[in-house]
Amino acid sequence: MTFIVRQLSRTAEGREIVRTARQETDAISIGRDAGNAIHLADLAVELHHASVSTRDGGQLEVESTCGLPFEIDGRSTLQAQINPATGAELRFGGHRVGISAEEGIAVLTVERVGALSDASESREEIGLFTLKGLLPGRRPVAWGLIGAVLLIFLAWPIFTYATSHGVEKRSAGFHADRMWLSGPLSIAHKSLKANCQACHVNKFEAVRDSACLTCHRDDAHAHADPARIALAKEPPGIGARIKGLFQTAFNHQAGRCVDCHTEHEGAGRMPATAQAFCTDCHGSLKTRLTDTRLKNAGDFGTDHPQFMPAVTVGTDAHGGRLYRRVSFDAHPVDNNGLKFPHAIHLARGGSIARMAQTMKAEQGFGDSLACKDCHAPTADGTRFKPVEMERDCGMCHSLAFDRIGGTFRTLRHGDPAQVVADLRAYYRSTGPDRPISLGGMARRRPGDYAASETTLDYVAGARAYGGQAEDAVKAVFSPGGACFDCHVVTPTGNGAEPFEVRKVVQPDRYMKKGWFDHNAHRSETCISCHAADTSKAATDLLLPDLASCRTCHVGEGGSRMKPVKAPVESSCAMCHDYHIDAGAPWLARQKVDRTKGQPRFVPAVASVR
Amino acid sequence: MASEAPRRAMQTGRVRSDGAHDGFLRHNNFQWLKVGASVSLAAILAYLLIDVQPRPNGGSWYGYVLGTVGAGLIVWLTLLGLRKRVMTPGAWSLKAWTSAHVYLGLSLIVIATLHTGFQFGWNVHTLAYVLMMFVILSGIFGVSAYATLPRAMSANRDEMTEAQMLESLRAIDRQLHDAAQPLELRQAELVRSSLEQDPFGGSLWQRLSGNYPDCETRAAQAAVRTENAYKPKLGNDPLEKIDGLLARKEAMLARVRRHLRLKALLEIWLYVHVPLTFALLAALFAHIISVFFYW
Repeated sequence: MTFIVRQLSRTAEGREIVRTARQETDAISIGRDAGNAIHLADLAVELHHASVSTRDGGQLEVESTCGLPFEIDGRSTLQAQINPATGAELRFGGHRVGISAEEGIAVLTVERVGALSDASESREEIGLFTLKGLLPGRRPVAWGLIGAVLLIFLAWPIFTYATSHGVEKRSAGFHADRMWLSGPLSIAHKSLKANCQACHVNKFEAVRDSACLTCHRDDAHAHADPARIALAKEPPGIGARIKGLFQTAFNHQAGRCVDCHTEHEGAGRMPATAQAFCTDCHGSLKTRLTDTRLKNAGDFGTDHPQFMPAVTVGTDAHGGRLYRRVSFDAHPVDNNGLKFPHAIHLARGGSIARMAQTMKAEQGFGDSLACKDCHAPTADGTRFKPVEMERDCGMCHSLAFDRIGGTFRTLRHGDPAQVVADLRAYYRSTGPDRPISLGGMARRRPGDYAASETTLDYVAGARAYGGQAEDAVKAVFSPGGACFDCHVVTPTGNGAEPFEVRKVVQPDRYMKKGWFDHNAHRSETCISCHAADTSKAATDLLLPDLASCRTCHVGEGGSRMKPVKAPVESSCAMCHDYHIDAGAPWLARQKVDRTKGQPRFVPAVASVR
Repeated sequence: MASEAPRRAMQTGRVRSDGAHDGFLRHNNFQWLKVGASVSLAAILAYLLIDVQPRPNGGSWYGYVLGTVGAGLIVWLTLLGLRKRVMTPGAWSLKAWTSAHVYLGLSLIVIATLHTGFQFGWNVHTLAYVLMMFVILSGIFGVSAYATLPRAMSANRDEMTEAQMLESLRAIDRQLHDAAQPLELRQAELVRSSLEQDPFGGSLWQRLSGNYPDCETRAAQAAVRTENAYKPKLGNDPLEKIDGLLARKEAMLARVRRHLRLKALLEIWLYVHVPLTFALLAALFAHIISVFFYW
């Protein structure tokens, strides 16, 4: 029997080399051992792996001789019958043995198909030593990340904006433009955090005042005429010019609410507007707004005009208060219509102090009078109530003139005509006190001269009694009288109303442009600011001037002109309000809230809904 | 020629290096380090001097300045990817550019951090900042790798090229293959497993750590040694030859793997630096758009 064994191999260029050998034998052995007819230098093959022998009818039988399988046409087996004319392909490890027939002779074609080792496999050597293949490529990752970031952080929020444009209130839950939030909202606006469009109404349009005014309808008072504000502004510095460049470039209008009321600056209260926002105009206002009556004010500690309290200069025809603002430098006097020397009332010795001592139990006085004995604070503690004669003076300055049983009759305070009428009525309806010796039904006996003289005196007195009323009226309205001691009294010459008392006017505030809160000054005594203990005249204006306030209050950054022991940094907003109304300035409200732990002040017009 | 001579003499007389051997870090006597440090210092000083109310933030005028400078720097730093493909000498050489890239990139830490005004949150703005910091950190890693690893790599290579390493492995493999021919299958399998294992395989972690616990060559050698241990050394046992060959292969593999590890460390940062740079550009774009979209 003849076999043809063809060994195929390839050159480096891929050219085929064929070596053919004829074998005259009945069986061909296949294995790694060099003695085999087909020698496969393949470590996956046994030394004597299989044999091919002829069978009847030209059939070939392939049989494993080592007990390990081989593959025939892809199937693993230990034994197989093959018709060479039909052909088959055997596989031993990395070698292929093709079986075919040429002119009736079986041909076995041997070819190495698997590489000898992994390292010897032909590979692309560039990149072999790099991380290529171990990590996803940089380019696709970069593109993927670009896509993801733009999609999640740009496209999605824009979609949210587009779908919620014009919506009053969005549904609860997550909205993608939340990812654009540059910082937490302040306490006041916390509830808007899911509703970006409440303030950011239109895209690429900076927040407009109209958005603020949707809610702040009543509490955003205009500060001044916008045209004058524009005129009053300081020319921009380098920083402001740079900001201005950005603002014009990006449609950012100046002079909006948000210029001062900055948001997204962190949770908590909205930060107080810095002094610079005021002093930009007011620091050198007069140079630009030449017709203004306001004086320049740059800093409380160093550059603030003297206070100009509104002092009383008289009353108008209807008794209304007439006042004028006078600088402390002009030593103003306050003519409120009273004659009231504070000093003797507060003196530690003397008749008033002694009287106070006698009334300790009844009125709660101390060893001498104190401010609180006559002055009562308002409910919020900010200011003091106007003095009321009956409540605040009447405990000592009694207007009683008669006693019926246990009841005192008093003169009507504040109504001179009534006083005159009451006194006249008193004298008309009563007589002099009846001497006790005239009492009873005892019979007069002759010789009792004393009794008859008393009777005559009494009758004469009783006859003239009504005429004494005018003297009494005169006495009340004259020096030493109950009215005259405290009030300015002028005789009218009119019989029905012989005297006129000048109306007393008490302002609730002397400083209407600035805010002062007594609550915030509880650690001080009254006389540390109000020199009442040395005031001998009611016209003394017992208010502290600028220098007096500066003994504690310094400028925003601690600036001061003299050494201050315990400085209180005070920006403009401590006393002044941009959106002026009757309430406390915003910063003062904050400070008092903080010190008291609970809100004491309700904005005068609180209508933020 | 005559004019050349004095110039050459002058050059040789010069004490200072002409810069040809300075790396990009020392380029031109640390020119860009000085520039970067001055820029950072100026930014910090200005930050301390400018009283932004109510608190420092990116929307103040100084914030805009820092933001613009920072964004410009980021774009310029990214352009190194284009610039590096063209090598030119001179004042604007690639080396000068790279030096500027490193030091200005570091100054970006200061500029961008001040731009944030130290206000961070879970938002696109902080995302851009964090991405930027990761890019810079990976860059710092890269620079330190470039400064230290090439020397170790050179020592490990022992003047072998990568092609030579590969060829050396192949030669050992061929010899192993031939030497294993007479072996019985069980022993032949040991050799085959070593031959068939991909020396460039292994996970990323194995690449970076240089630890290959499932190395077949080492396992095969251990097994062959065990078999050889109690046999007399006659000098004609193919296993003895195999033992020697496996030892050589293991030594070669160790060198290749050290090389792979150093190369991976030189390369790995770029797989963070480059894709994150592009993510940063996208986030920066989203940051800028979002700020002007809602403002």
